[in-house]
Amino acid sequence: MQGQNVPVCAAIDIGSNTLRLVVARCPCPDGVLDILETDEAIVRIGESVNATGAISSEKQAHALSVLQRFKALATKHSAQTILAIATEAIRKASNRDDFLTVIQQEAGIEVHCIDGDMEATLTFYGATYELSKSAQPPAKVSVMDMGGGSTELVIAKDMQISWHTSLPIGSGVIHDRYLTADPPTEADRASARIFLHTYLTGLQLQQFPPILFATGGSANTLLILAQRAFGLDTSHAILTHEDLVRCEGLLWALSAEEIAQRYQLDTKRARIITAGVLILLSLLETFDLKEVHISSYGIREGVALAYARNGAQWLAEARQQAHNVSQATSHVNTNVEIVTYHEEFITSGRRLFLTRAETMLGWRDVVLKHEDSEAVHKMRVASRRLRAVMDAYQSICQRRPFKAVYAQIKDIADALGIARDTDVMIDTLRQQLEQASASEQAGIRWLIDGLSEYRMSHQQLLEKRLLKLDKDALLRSLKACLAEEGEKHGKG
Amino acid sequence: MAKAKVVANLDAHALTGQNARAIASVRLEEMYSWAQYVDNSYSVQELHNLRIATKRLRYTLEVFVDTFPDACGAILKELEHIQEELGSLHDKDVMIALLRLCLGGQDSGGEYEQSLAAVAQHAHKGRLMIDPAMMAHLLRSSEGPSPAQREGLEALLRHLQRQRKRQYTVFREHWYKLKGQDFQHQIVTMLDVS
Repeated sequence: MQGQNVPVCAAIDIGSNTLRLVVARCPCPDGVLDILETDEAIVRIGESVNATGAISSEKQAHALSVLQRFKALATKHSAQTILAIATEAIRKASNRDDFLTVIQQEAGIEVHCIDGDMEATLTFYGATYELSKSAQPPAKVSVMDMGGGSTELVIAKDMQISWHTSLPIGSGVIHDRYLTADPPTEADRASARIFLHTYLTGLQLQQFPPILFATGGSANTLLILAQRAFGLDTSHAILTHEDLVRCEGLLWALSAEEIAQRYQLDTKRARIITAGVLILLSLLETFDLKEVHISSYGIREGVALAYARNGAQWLAEARQQAHNVSQATSHVNTNVEIVTYHEEFITSGRRLFLTRAETMLGWRDVVLKHEDSEAVHKMRVASRRLRAVMDAYQSICQRRPFKAVYAQIKDIADALGIARDTDVMIDTLRQQLEQASASEQAGIRWLIDGLSEYRMSHQQLLEKRLLKLDKDALLRSLKACLAEEGEKHGKG
Repeated sequence: MAKAKVVANLDAHALTGQNARAIASVRLEEMYSWAQYVDNSYSVQELHNLRIATKRLRYTLEVFVDTFPDACGAILKELEHIQEELGSLHDKDVMIALLRLCLGGQDSGGEYEQSLAAVAQHAHKGRLMIDPAMMAHLLRSSEGPSPAQREGLEALLRHLQRQRKRQYTVFREHWYKLKGQDFQHQIVTMLDVS
């Protein structure tokens, strides 16, 4: 590679699980990121933040020694600039400022604590770097950066971010919460799966691009595991659903230490990827995807690329990009429905009423478009889940507003139910058609035609009902059900 | 299916985990109140009610999953399985009822059509397996099925009945397998742990 005179930069990502370094020439004359050195260390800062809210002194010391090692590597390659960012775990640590000051003083590295919008933008730069160089990149693509504390999810159209969100379901969080046995138990798996399934289906994502790229330490380690354990072709960085199921089987059969020894992995990483595999599987299953492309480039390469493009203005430009994205993208309901044992009943009820109603209402526009029959099903399921919550809290609700809003939701659910039942009948008949005799086919077609006509006429009724639905009024009515003044009549 | 039972004596200011157990216990009772119909393949409405009650229990456990012990995960999986089996059975029952109504309508002419229309006007919402307005629409169609189409519908009906029989057998076997494992007691035990 040429370009001995081209500036060299080092980019550091201080994540919840891992600290990572890339040293590269920025920009290389041929436009390709010329990577000179990479390094990483699993410190699991998030473990301490999740447990106590702060970064423990042990984790601080460990992180500092890793950063000093990174600094030495940057110096070895004559890097003129060191760019460092910190994400979720540091973002929420109560002693964040003290920690960043120590790094500045002891390692001479200025760390920028970035928000979720910036994180998504920089990750997207890195993860799609290879893709963006191809002659015909796909029209729609999604990128997930599975970190330890959070998972960033980005959807892009024509390689421009059209939507993104930060989900609090990082591999470290899921591991610490559900998968602490080694190897994890079946019950652990079931609990984690239920949580992930409930969480992901609760997002109001109506359409998901068919191509998904995943980046992050756990995703890359799972690829290595699959390649080493099952002999996957190392020239293709793709994990199918089946590959992931096989990885899951292996990770539930052997301890992390044995996995690490057999397949030359870091033991700490081998423990965390139990959560990683469940997150990936849940995502594929929820959004009906067959495979995931694994990108070895992530946020640290994104930082290096941002610097290559904008020099000293890299941070300001990335912030502006992130701001634009934030303004342009639609927001989804990412409220986590975690209800803890010790939470006051009425408080959990207030939150659940609103989050479930918003999830249901989030499907209204898609149903009105009448392009995706699954939207009717999803809105109906959301209405049932809302009613299940209302049924649970009914006895502490104000009677009059409860009765009125319950009837309103049931009315919507009934209209959706007729549409859905008709869709199911039509689908069932179409399936029967494939294996039917000629005479049977004639009868089935007659019925499909009749039902399809009916479905069209019912759609008009459904649309009328949904258009009449006043979102704000519905949410106000739900709030009134569990209003303060009703608490004194709470029992019975 | 009747509305879910109101769970009385809940304290608005109690811990969510405590109330969650009371609510789930009521939903569990509701589910097992339909268990007596499992052996009767043709208790179509009651099996449908069992499905709805199962779904209500499942949704309730899902809402409060984080307040329950880990064993809740495996229980939820089984409930989802039962619900799916009963769901497939219900889909077949609905199709079979639809075909019978269509074929009956063709057999019986105007009188039958009128009685269906009357049902459509007076039926309580959600109580009928086939939406009366749908039936009225199908019977109003200017052209009924030709003899060949009718023969096809008869064949389809027989075909669906065979499929339904198989699905019922699978569901019943699963139900009894869970009974052998004292599934109901497993849920009660799980709810007893705070």
